[in-house]
Amino acid sequence: MKLAPLFIIEATAFLLIIAETYFFFNFVVPLGPIPHTLTEYTGLALLKVVLIFGLAFFWFVVMIGMTRLYVRSRVGISPKPSS
Amino acid sequence: MPPGLTDGVLLLLSFFVPFLLLVFGFPPYLRLLTKKGRVSNDAHKNPPTKVVEPAGPMLFLGALVGEFVVAVGFHSWVPVAIMFGTGVAFIVGLYDDLYVLGGKTKPLLLVLAGLAFVSLVIFKANLYQSVLTFPILGDTSPHFTIYTILAIAAFPVVTNAFNMMDAFNGEISWFTLLTSLALLLGLVLRELYTTGFSLARVASALPLVAAAAAFLIFNRYPSRAFDGDSGSLTFGAMFAAIAITGGVEIAAMIAIVPAILNSFYTLSSVRGFVERRSMPTRPTYIGKDGLLYASTEKEAPNTLIRLILLAGPLSERDLVKDIIYLTILTCIFSAAISVLTWVF
Repeated sequence: MKLAPLFIIEATAFLLIIAETYFFFNFVVPLGPIPHTLTEYTGLALLKVVLIFGLAFFWFVVMIGMTRLYVRSRVGISPKPSS
Repeated sequence: MPPGLTDGVLLLLSFFVPFLLLVFGFPPYLRLLTKKGRVSNDAHKNPPTKVVEPAGPMLFLGALVGEFVVAVGFHSWVPVAIMFGTGVAFIVGLYDDLYVLGGKTKPLLLVLAGLAFVSLVIFKANLYQSVLTFPILGDTSPHFTIYTILAIAAFPVVTNAFNMMDAFNGEISWFTLLTSLALLLGLVLRELYTTGFSLARVASALPLVAAAAAFLIFNRYPSRAFDGDSGSLTFGAMFAAIAITGGVEIAAMIAIVPAILNSFYTLSSVRGFVERRSMPTRPTYIGKDGLLYASTEKEAPNTLIRLILLAGPLSERDLVKDIIYLTILTCIFSAAISVLTWVF
């Protein structure tokens, strides 16, 4: 049972990877031109860049948030070796 | 489609030739390394013991021979591409074993492995398909450029993730064996439930399974051999290349979630690529009782190992067991993804 919090973090990472990869390939990539192309689609290109970083940022925030919660809940009770 | 008799024999050879080569080749190879003084400290023993390193060249040879059997037996380019990318990663790893590369230099050099792999698309256009197949939802539309960029990026990411899972006795061999079996399951289901999928792509995963299984005999607790960076980068590069050529990227990504999380934790807590030998604070330490403890220092990097040990000190053997349990869970997720993708 002591691994249960880490199982939950793994399961969350798994679901986010699936959902975000699907969103990325089906909605972000087909949005328009390659981001560095300066055309009349600049707005779409910018949106694409924002969405790419947004997806990565969201994953980071969720993972860091869950890990910090876990570490904070454990650090106080983690035993130290008797000297 | 199920394989015929000839294909069945070739599949058996693709597994047993590298497996037996490694099982019987390792003892003399390890004796040779010992004679040459190629031993390193097993830092997680108290007092430290000496273990032979690197086993990577032998692992690479075994994998190479296995992929050669697949290439000749199935007349396929796929194993050539796999070993081309893996070969570059192996050379980078071997250089790191002998001379030690910087924290930033290694990932940069590993991009070359990705470039070597995708460059073979020039000769064989159907080396990989630039689509991802999702469970229930099906294929994305093809995006060659973005897929190729991601395929190149996959090599430094996956190889480094495997490299970071190489800290304790048996950790890398168990991790590679379990994840490669999950990868193999995805390939087998794709072969059985779809049409036009080459059996060579399934067979090309067998040398990786064989190498990991054979190495486990020598790497399990207490280790008689460490793979070194040449071994872990070989495992990682092969895994990435097989996933890409087999079109089972999603299942592969899910199987290695413990390694992805471990790399992510390390990189985010030390804020960048830092060679492990130059980390200012260690994430764990050995107590006088011989158990491993999580460092409670604020600046200690948050590796997966530290997170496990925060729940309480463990012996090295029990710690590796916990890592195996975490990997089994993600391999079950990966298997579920493969079933949902290819069977339904």
